[in-house]
Amino acid sequence: MADLFALAEQRLEWIDQRQRAVAQNIANADTPKYQPRDLKPFDQLVADQIVEPATTNPMHLQGQVELASLRQEVPMERSPDGNAVSVEGQLTKVAQNETNAALVGNLWKSYMGMYMTALGHGG
Amino acid sequence: MDLTQALSISSRGMDAQTERLRVIAENLANQDSTGSTPGSAPYQRKTVLFENVLDRSLGAQSVRVKAVIPDKSAFPQKYDPSNPAANPQGYVSMPNVNSFVEMMDMREAERSYSANLNVMQASRSMLTRVIDLLK
Repeated sequence: MADLFALAEQRLEWIDQRQRAVAQNIANADTPKYQPRDLKPFDQLVADQIVEPATTNPMHLQGQVELASLRQEVPMERSPDGNAVSVEGQLTKVAQNETNAALVGNLWKSYMGMYMTALGHGG
Repeated sequence: MDLTQALSISSRGMDAQTERLRVIAENLANQDSTGSTPGSAPYQRKTVLFENVLDRSLGAQSVRVKAVIPDKSAFPQKYDPSNPAANPQGYVSMPNVNSFVEMMDMREAERSYSANLNVMQASRSMLTRVIDLLK
């Protein structure tokens, strides 16, 4: 069975990182020559599966693989000063992030409710 | 928590736009400030230059005002022999401030400011939602 909690956690982490990237892009919407950044889409990340190094000895350090690394966006437009941030496009991403966060939150709650029912605490 | 970092990045963006608005206000307020001695220079328009800086504590590219630089365009001349700053020919150098340009700049700053504010509101509501999971 897929671990929904772990998946939800990954997704929240991804939304966090993306929100940070978008905040950075919008803060720099008037900086000359600034290139906007974005994350790899979440479905692609899940499909790729994150590879972690094997620990054959408890003394081994756990290699930490960043969930999603930033990459440069393909700009839709560019202003004369070289800035390629489209504020409208970025705000659309903010809206997507918000919807996704709400979805994950509600899924988490209902999954938790199932546990509660199984444990005899829920309604 | 990363979302609080998104909040601080947005606030840096708002800071930078506030600084820009302050410079615009300064320009507009001084659009008639001439010199006081004959042939002296009037108020020179200022412009802001933004720069992206890597903020190590946030691990992200935040924004700051790199410099406030004077606008080097020529001062328009106005014939006004009664002005104390008039040269022997009776012309006064006026500030190189164009109120339409400043208004445009002001609108742009306002738009960027509200974009940052929107991101901040969204980040905050997501943060509250995650905290609500604890209930």
